[in-house]
Amino acid sequence: MHKEGVSKFPWYVGVNSLKEMATREDRVCVLNILGTESRSVTPVSHTYSGGNIVFGTGPGRGGQVLETPSGDIPVYNSIREGIKAGHKFNTAVIYLPPSGVKDGVAEAVRHNPDLTKIVILTEKVSLNDARIIRAICQANGVDVFGANCLGLADSWNKVRIGGALGGSKPDESLVKGSVALFSNSGNFTTTIAVYLLTGGWGTTTSISSGKDVYIHYGPKEFFNALDNDDRSRAAVVYAEPGGYYESELEINKPTVACVVGRWKAKLTKACGHAGSLAGTGDDAKAKEGWFMDYFGVDDIYTPENPVCSAKGAVVTNIAHIPEALTAVMALNDATPDFEPEGTLALKCWFSSDAGITGIPDDLNPPVVRAVSPYGEQIEALSRQIGAHFPRERLKDASGASMMDPKTQVTKIHNISILDASKRSLEENLVMSLLRGYPCKTGAALANIAFNAFVNHSSAPALAAAEASREAGNSPNTVATSAVCIAGNKSLGTAPEVSALLLELFGGSGIKKASDKFDFSALLKGLSADDNKLFTTDEDDPAAQNITAALDALGAESVFIDFVREAAGGAPSSAALLSGIWTTIAWESLIKKRISKTTIKNLPWYSRIFSTIVGCSVSANKQAADTFCGIPVLELTKEWSFTETAFMAIVGRRPDEKELFEFSTLLGLIISNGPGTISAQGSKGAVSSDGPEDPDRVQINKAFAGFMTHTGFAHGGNGYEAIAFLMDMFRDSGLTDPSDKNHDIDLKAISDKYAQWYGDFKAEQKAVGNLQYKKIPCVNHPIFKGKPVNYDPRERFITKLFEEKGIYNVFKDFYSGLVQSLFDTGVSKNVYCVNVDAVIAVILLKIVWADYQAGDISDTDIETAAFTTFLFGRMIGCAAEIDDHINRGKNMDTRTAASKCSYVG
Amino acid sequence: MQLTGLLWGSKLLDRVEFPHSEVLGPEASPDEIKALLKKCGTVFIKPIFKGGVGKKGKSGLIGRVSDLTAALSEKERLYFVEHIHGTTRAKADGVTFEGAVPAEHEVYFSISDSTIFRAPTMTITHHGGVDIEELPKDKIAEVPFDPLTGLKSFHVSNALEDLGAPAEIISPLVQNLPKLWTLFNNYGMSTLEINPLRMMPNKRGRLVPVACDFKGSFDIDNPAWKRLDLPSHLFASDYSEFEQEINQLRTYQGQSDVFIMNEKGTITAPTFGGGANALVTELLGDRATISSDFGGNPPYAKMNDIARIVFKYWLNQSNVLFIIGGKANNTDIYETFRAMADALKDHFKTSPTPLFVVIGRGGPNLIQGLSAMRDTLDGLKLPYRIFGHDSAMSEVVNFAKRADDWMSSGGSEKVREAMGL
Repeated sequence: MHKEGVSKFPWYVGVNSLKEMATREDRVCVLNILGTESRSVTPVSHTYSGGNIVFGTGPGRGGQVLETPSGDIPVYNSIREGIKAGHKFNTAVIYLPPSGVKDGVAEAVRHNPDLTKIVILTEKVSLNDARIIRAICQANGVDVFGANCLGLADSWNKVRIGGALGGSKPDESLVKGSVALFSNSGNFTTTIAVYLLTGGWGTTTSISSGKDVYIHYGPKEFFNALDNDDRSRAAVVYAEPGGYYESELEINKPTVACVVGRWKAKLTKACGHAGSLAGTGDDAKAKEGWFMDYFGVDDIYTPENPVCSAKGAVVTNIAHIPEALTAVMALNDATPDFEPEGTLALKCWFSSDAGITGIPDDLNPPVVRAVSPYGEQIEALSRQIGAHFPRERLKDASGASMMDPKTQVTKIHNISILDASKRSLEENLVMSLLRGYPCKTGAALANIAFNAFVNHSSAPALAAAEASREAGNSPNTVATSAVCIAGNKSLGTAPEVSALLLELFGGSGIKKASDKFDFSALLKGLSADDNKLFTTDEDDPAAQNITAALDALGAESVFIDFVREAAGGAPSSAALLSGIWTTIAWESLIKKRISKTTIKNLPWYSRIFSTIVGCSVSANKQAADTFCGIPVLELTKEWSFTETAFMAIVGRRPDEKELFEFSTLLGLIISNGPGTISAQGSKGAVSSDGPEDPDRVQINKAFAGFMTHTGFAHGGNGYEAIAFLMDMFRDSGLTDPSDKNHDIDLKAISDKYAQWYGDFKAEQKAVGNLQYKKIPCVNHPIFKGKPVNYDPRERFITKLFEEKGIYNVFKDFYSGLVQSLFDTGVSKNVYCVNVDAVIAVILLKIVWADYQAGDISDTDIETAAFTTFLFGRMIGCAAEIDDHINRGKNMDTRTAASKCSYVG
Repeated sequence: MQLTGLLWGSKLLDRVEFPHSEVLGPEASPDEIKALLKKCGTVFIKPIFKGGVGKKGKSGLIGRVSDLTAALSEKERLYFVEHIHGTTRAKADGVTFEGAVPAEHEVYFSISDSTIFRAPTMTITHHGGVDIEELPKDKIAEVPFDPLTGLKSFHVSNALEDLGAPAEIISPLVQNLPKLWTLFNNYGMSTLEINPLRMMPNKRGRLVPVACDFKGSFDIDNPAWKRLDLPSHLFASDYSEFEQEINQLRTYQGQSDVFIMNEKGTITAPTFGGGANALVTELLGDRATISSDFGGNPPYAKMNDIARIVFKYWLNQSNVLFIIGGKANNTDIYETFRAMADALKDHFKTSPTPLFVVIGRGGPNLIQGLSAMRDTLDGLKLPYRIFGHDSAMSEVVNFAKRADDWMSSGGSEKVREAMGL
């Protein structure tokens, strides 16, 4: 059952000449126009083709538009709606996911009687659907191209319909000429067109047929249309094994057939193109034979054995196509369309021996300048300092973090938080922004930068924090109040100094800050205004502390030296801060791991970290030159930032084991991926400022976004487990949680609790309350269902602590508790102790002695738990903020109205 | 995804109430075998091969017995028998016991998609029981039909009449064969073949078609086969552990097709595009560990996962990492190369290995992508040569082969030394 088309075919064929294949008169509707692939391809097609797309569809996306350089393309919910709005089209292009393709075809055919062509880009359309698509279109007189194709293009008409033939710059590949192309491979359609240029051949119509089992517009149809196209003097066909589409062809114009895939006879399942699975008579060898018969040749054409006739030649290597075509056309007294452009010889663009000697000459091709515009791009790149990240929509997406749904372990800059938990706070803060860990000197410099500004005595930020604290706010709200004061003007000249250092040293060739470099000429070149940036007229005790700390450290840094000399030996703390951060970050910048934007912003991040930690300590513990009673000079010279953060929470310096446990704790909290509420808050704050103009993004506001997106349920909930444990151990007589010989019968406590909980649970269920109180930190939605369950993150930390000889009675209790719950029948299997328990037990252990001594209250512990969360999470959120500034788009975190729902 | 034999084929046929010979699996007890022998007289013992094994080369691999002792002896002979045809080998894992079906007529029947007719097509002959390709064309009927209406009785009767089939077999076939379209169409099959279909007289003397073998394959892109609740191990032999791991990433956005070419290969070539896949694999031959197509603009995360798996399985045995594709139309080179570079960095954290890296690629964000890879390779201290899309792909493949030769003849040691391994 088919409609009447070109009469010579036993089925419907509409397009009778290649001239009609893709014309300027064609009007196109794109289904799923706002899909990922279409978003990037359709604007180029639309512009190249003179604006041939009349509208697109996207269910639920009606009213939106697809922006293109040639104007916006309207989007409707359906084809019916688009047609009702007065649009007319004859061609449908389908970008729908595989399961929706058949329905899309049915919709287009049903609602548009003018439809003559459908181009299906989608891969992996099922055979069942392909059969039905064919049947529908045969019955309704519609030509189908694809599925799994790249569509149609015409170099004469400057039109492409469907996919991305010619890539993002169609004019580079689709050059007007006299050769028609038909290819089973989408990529090769473009590649062959490019190769033909080296023989002086341009193209007329190019068809990417796809290579699914069903090819609806096949070589038979192509050669018929070729005969009727007076522009095309010759053809190139690229064919792969599988199917009888190339058998019994009628070829009347000179043709080069390229058949590739003899090896595919070994295949027992499709690899690459779904239809490239040959049976017994349709393998590559058989196809070569068919074409050789058409052309009257007895061998494959190669440069060494140039076998061809006036009818054509068969090649098995696409690189031989231009030469074979020229040879065939010469036998027809025809010359190429234009002078050959370039060659296909090997052209090496980048090369490295990696210090290996003795690599033979034939593996040492000369490095040549790449063809335009790539040569210019390489040159520009070699001059470019730092990374340039392409911008994309980062709603619910991140280039900084990802969580593995199976293990629940999050990675930040590709570093597992489990590995990060073995690092110090200062190392992780640097890693969050530089995408890699600093060296020992780098970490020491970071400590100086952080600690020098941690004291906020008489600073407005501390006053704001104090007011917020007194008003009864939670720790995150208090820290937010402080951070909001830390705008860019609070940085003094640091941003300008960082920018100036970048400008001055950008072309210096310095790879590391410790490299020797004579900057005397740069110093001389500074204007008086430039020099002023490095100094201050105000009282600047931080500068003295930093200078003393730097002298004590003795780190070699061309940037710090430069700052000091530019300031005439009396640099401001702002200039020194810039010098320090440029020192730490320079290698990452040169290795293109970070952007210039990031390096310029580092002093700001640094000050914000100092503010969050500093303002978590009440004003009465901060004096002009002391912080928690410790001289700021000593802090700056001798303390790590992890120690300072510990002191801010606990009020004293940690011992070595406590420092290790505290660092581990902070590492575990770093991130749970871009979907976590705190990350969403920070990303939303960046997005709303518009990262496409990165200088406008208020980084302190982004941290406020992070912290306002934490709360008693997210961040503050760690206290639940601590409160539970305090309850369990309140009357136990426990003095030292790290002492393995504690003489406490943990099993008795856990058995007793399990018994009580079992009764409680039964009671609650009996009264119909299914929302009864759950035991904190046991069980996990992922790590469950086995006879004995483990959270791999908890296992990792437990093992780590065992290796270090660190004991924690609370952890021991938790392990026993899950067993007791099982033994008493409360749980059907042994629950896992989840990672939140690890966090709780570490913190409680740290504060237990002070708590027992009455030095800190329950409220203090709750504050400590929440503040600890903020310190750990600021690492992950810093990474998200910097990533979003560098890669995100303006307002990209918003949710389309169509995806929102009203639940009233 | 192929399925051969009646052990599972019978369960599929039961779904559409299509008669088949009685079949017992490898777990059948002597009593059950005895009962089958008593009922059918003769029992065929056939080895069970997972995946697709054709008739060719099966000669001698079927036992025909009429007593229990012989049945058990044939079971022992065939249980782990090896099937060799050409270069492919398959090892049996069990046997079936299938009751003989007395019949005068044997019919061949199949449904598949014909690229000649461009429609689903029934192939039928009443000269069944032999390899279909051995029969002359005039003894076979190939009948395309409309997938919207399906295979109908008249298709079967017209075909058999045209072939001059005996009148007594036409009616029972007309009644039963359309059921097989239901099986084919409803469960995402791409081929279905029954050979032989033996026409057994029932108690009333009327002929009934009985399927005595079964061969089918399923379309991996059609989830309908999952409705059959077949155990996943049935298709496990179709895919190696590596392929199964990659297949888990199979989504419509971006290709992830792989095929192991040579488990001892020395060039691992992540390849982009179906055409490049055909060309590169052809030219690399046995040097290639895998044939792959990772084109179709995979997003970063998918490409990174694919690269991790590929590197995990193949990099440490390889001399050359060869990343190759034409001038991409839409695949973002920066995203895909960044993803591969990150995977490479990760791999080298635990398993650094001497490699020569050869790259040929073109497409959007090309220089950014190539630079990202270049910076990574510099960091890993690996030698590399990177070619643009204006170098003939075949020449780049030949270059990779030369690099492989050099690495095999001492180069690898030099790279290892320079890397400090």
